[in-house]
This record gives sequence, C-alpha cells and structure tokens, in this order.
Amino acid sequence: MTAAGRSAPVRRRVRLARGPVTIGEPAAAIEARLAAAEPYRPDTIADGGTAFGLTVRAASVRGLYKRYTGGPRQDDICLRLHADSETLIAAVADGVSGASRSDLGAALAVRYSTAAVARQLDSGTGGIDWGGVFEQAAWALVEEHRRACGDAGAGVEEASWSLATTLLVAAVRGSDVEVAAVGDSPAFLLTGRVYDAVVAEPERFDGLVGGGVDALPRSPGPPSVSTRSLDSGSVLLLCTDGLAMPLAGGDGEVGATLARELSRPPDVVDFARLLDFSRSTYDDDRSLVAVWGPAR
Amino acid sequence: MKIKLPSNMRAGASMGAGAPDPPEPVTTPLAAPVAPMVPPPVAAAGVEPESGSAPASGPALWAGEQAPAGSVIGQVLPMYFVGDESHSMAGEPIAAVNQGLIDLRDEVAKHPLIGKKVRFGIITFAETAQTRLELSELSEELALPTLAPRGRGTSYASAFEALRQTIPADVALLKGNGYQVHRPSVFFLSDGLPTEKADKWKQRLAELKDPSFRERPNILAFGVGEADPAVIGQLASSPRYGFMMTTGASTAGAIAEFAASMLNSMVASAERLDRGEQTIEFEKPEGFVQLDAPLV
Repeated sequence: MTAAGRSAPVRRRVRLARGPVTIGEPAAAIEARLAAAEPYRPDTIADGGTAFGLTVRAASVRGLYKRYTGGPRQDDICLRLHADSETLIAAVADGVSGASRSDLGAALAVRYSTAAVARQLDSGTGGIDWGGVFEQAAWALVEEHRRACGDAGAGVEEASWSLATTLLVAAVRGSDVEVAAVGDSPAFLLTGRVYDAVVAEPERFDGLVGGGVDALPRSPGPPSVSTRSLDSGSVLLLCTDGLAMPLAGGDGEVGATLARELSRPPDVVDFARLLDFSRSTYDDDRSLVAVWGPAR
Repeated sequence: MKIKLPSNMRAGASMGAGAPDPPEPVTTPLAAPVAPMVPPPVAAAGVEPESGSAPASGPALWAGEQAPAGSVIGQVLPMYFVGDESHSMAGEPIAAVNQGLIDLRDEVAKHPLIGKKVRFGIITFAETAQTRLELSELSEELALPTLAPRGRGTSYASAFEALRQTIPADVALLKGNGYQVHRPSVFFLSDGLPTEKADKWKQRLAELKDPSFRERPNILAFGVGEADPAVIGQLASSPRYGFMMTTGASTAGAIAEFAASMLNSMVASAERLDRGEQTIEFEKPEGFVQLDAPLV
C-alpha cells in the first residue's frame, strides 16, 4: 500500500475480450472449430521485426468460413533474411480451394520460393531469376505429390489437383523492391491513402468478379515481375485475395482503415488482429506482409 | 439433404465470439506506435466514435470511418430458379417444387455466412414467363410465391428472354448498391418439351449464352417427367451441368432431390466466392443422370 498522505494508484482489471475489429457491417459471430489438418495448421500466425533498416509485419489468418467448418487455413506466409546482400525475402501464397491439400501447397510454395531466392543471392550473380524461383516452387509441389501418392511418374497436372496455390514473392534491399507473382495475390505500394498495384492488377470491379485463377504448379507462363522503390512514406503490401477483395482497390472503408493503421508499424499481435477484421460477406483466409522502408 | 448446422453457430450477428463480456470502449489507437520509421500521420490514429455510426458493441476506434459514396460494401452471388409452371406439373410435382423452395429459404436463412452472400430469384414459365420473386436475400421473413400450374404452353424462349432482361438489371442494381457481383447461376427445371418452334427457343438461348453478353449466367438444366434429354442437354452452359431424371423414377421425388442439390450448390458455391472461380459448385442429385451434352 501507499504511504500515508499519498493516494492509492487506480487499479484496473486487465481486459482481453475486445471482440473483433469491425469494418462496416460485421460478419456473423461464430466460435471457430479447430482445423483437423495434417501437418498442423494454426488458425493464425503473426510475425514481425526489423532487419537491414526495414520494418516488417506479417500475418495469416484463417477465414470465417473455414473456422465455421473446421477447415485448415489455405493461405501461408514466409519471411527470410539474406544477410550477405542485406535482403528481406517475403512470400505469400493462397491455396486454391478446389485442390485437396492446397494448405500444404501454399506452405511449400512460400518456403521453397524464398529459399530459392536466397540460394540465387548466395551465388552473388546479381539479379534474381524469377522464372527459376517459381519453377523450383512448382517442382516442390510436384515432388510432394509424388511422395504422397507414391507415383514417381506423376506430373504437374496431377499435382495441381491436390496442391495448387498462387504465389507472390518479394525481395527488398534498402529501398529497392522486386516483386513476382503467379495468380491473383496482389502487391501494393501504399502511400498515404493511395494503393498502387505493383503486380497482379486487382479485378476490375466494374465487371463481374470471377474467372478462375492461375496457380502453381500449372502456371501458363512466367511470373509477372515488377520493380519499385520503397520510399520512406510508403509501405509495401503483399496480400492474398481474401484481403484484396474487401480492399477493392483501396477506395472504401477497408482501404481507409488499413491506410490509417499502417501509417506506422503496429504491434505484431495488433497487426494480426487488424487483418482479422470482421466484415459481412468476406470470410476467406487473409494474409498480409507489410514492409516499411528505411527511414531517411 | 439438409445442411447440418454445426453447434458453433450462434444466433444473430453479435460481436465477440468467445468473449462473454461486452468489449469496453476503446479510445486508444489499436496500434501503439513502435519505433516509427515514417513521420506520424497528421490526423490522430484513434478517433472518437461519432454517435450512431458504429456497430453497438464494436470498438469505438473504427466508428469514425464513413463508407465513401460508391465504395464496395460486400460480395454477392445471384442465383435464379427458373421453373416450369405448365399444366403437366400439376399435383405432386408442383407441390414438391414449392416445398423445396421453402426448405431452401429456411436452410439458407439459418446459415450464418451464406445468407448474406446469396441473392435468389424465381422466374417461372408456361405460355409466358413471369418473375415470381425478385432477386432477394433469403431471410426467414421472405414471403415465397406459391407456384401453380397455369396456361397450356411451355415456352422456353420466354424464360430465356426474361433472364436476358432481368440479369443485367439485377447486376446493375447490386453494383449500384455497392456489391461485388459474381457470375450469376441459373437452375432450370422442366418436365416437358417446349411447345414453340425450336428455332425460337434456340435463338433466345444463344442470346443468353452469347460470350459477348457480359452477365451471361452459368446454366444448370434439369429434366424431369416427359422432358427430352437431348433438349435439356443443350440448355446447360457446360456438358457437366445437364441432368435428366432416371427413367421410371417419381417426378415429385426427383424434384425434391433437385431442390436439395440446388441448396447444396448454393452453399458450396457461396463458400468459394472469394476464390473468384467461374465454375459453380454442383454435384449430381440422386435420381438423375448427367447428360454428356455438347456445348451449344
């Protein structure tokens, strides 16, 4: 207790139950079922920190629909550092729901692709061969499919039925950003309230939504590659369509909320909670990697 | 046939699953800034709620955000039931249709996530086509029409023409209200042959399926009773989407199975909305054979 003559400090009960962040009309409240996935797939992953003058936040959260049905999160993320070249390598992937083990496909794609970039940087030849990076990720999916089904002759087509996934990979060194993608997982440079699409130009929302998706391992062509400069007032965003759909180009209240909250790097757990916002009709998995550039 | 609703579904769309206490108002920013690497924003990140602009129990942090005019508020999948109301449907068949529609409404209305994502309309045809239910959200309060045999003819052309007129108007209305709209689906059910010249309905069908018709729907076609499998097969938008009742089965029983499949398709398709798949999720109903129909 306090000494005589001094007032007691105000005691406040710690309150954790804050409920979801809501943007617009909330989605229904449900109690999530654990996903019975093999290998283990946690509902939410969150990561973040600083490296090479960059600040990064990353999270992947299971969509409401899969929480309702007990399905596994089919999005995944991966961060990797390449010390010699001072490069941050980040990847997000969105497993195609029609593929039976696309959760594993997404997990393999982000890990193998970031490892492939790191190996190329090890060789010190300079530029990144993105076609090679995506080929190696695709090959990892085919190999996993062969291992799982015991058919050493199984090809890309068969692997696509079980492990199909989009893939978006970025290499950030200082303010230099290179991004490559197969499929509809987009990257943006967020400056103020403006979302500038870097790759995977989002759907034209004046038309109908839909039209299938390009995915590994059966990609119709080389990845789309883009290079940008990460200025001190900008944030690089890598995300899956579970966020890109409600973001809808960034003009609405989702875009406004994200822009405001990401004006500075939030706490890691708050970042995941922000990504897990509740909004009616949007119940897909969401992943987001945000990178703030070096301060000038 | 019923969708089993897991016990983790809660009534209503209240906030805070798993959080028995209502959240306390939050007046601090979600994200306590950590090592800011960019200049702080001009406006404070945490804003006081504007009265009436927030969900009752939502964190006040989000309340100040107003949806800009014309911004996206949700995503929807329009689905149409196009049913035969000709005299041959009298008795048990039309009763089975009516019961199937009631079950569909009740099951979708009970579902915590699907109801908001689907819009359902009913068009019937005999000598002429009639819109019996404007595209609607399937809530428990929704009053459904009671279909009854009328007229002598069976005009497929009138049904296709009605769809050709209705769908673009419905899509435009949904978009105007701020929705991202997925490709509409049509469930077509007939128990007989068209009573008009083949050229006429084929022409109207071609207009509905025309690739330059931006809102062209996915069409699933079901034949029962005296319907001609060769005709039904031509109506479907994909060879996989044409179905004919098994020879010798009960028409009313087959209709009940059709209605159950329509419900399951609605649920499965709405589940995958975020993926942007162009194809609709559908499994062959019991008592039907899949027609290997050529594309028209």
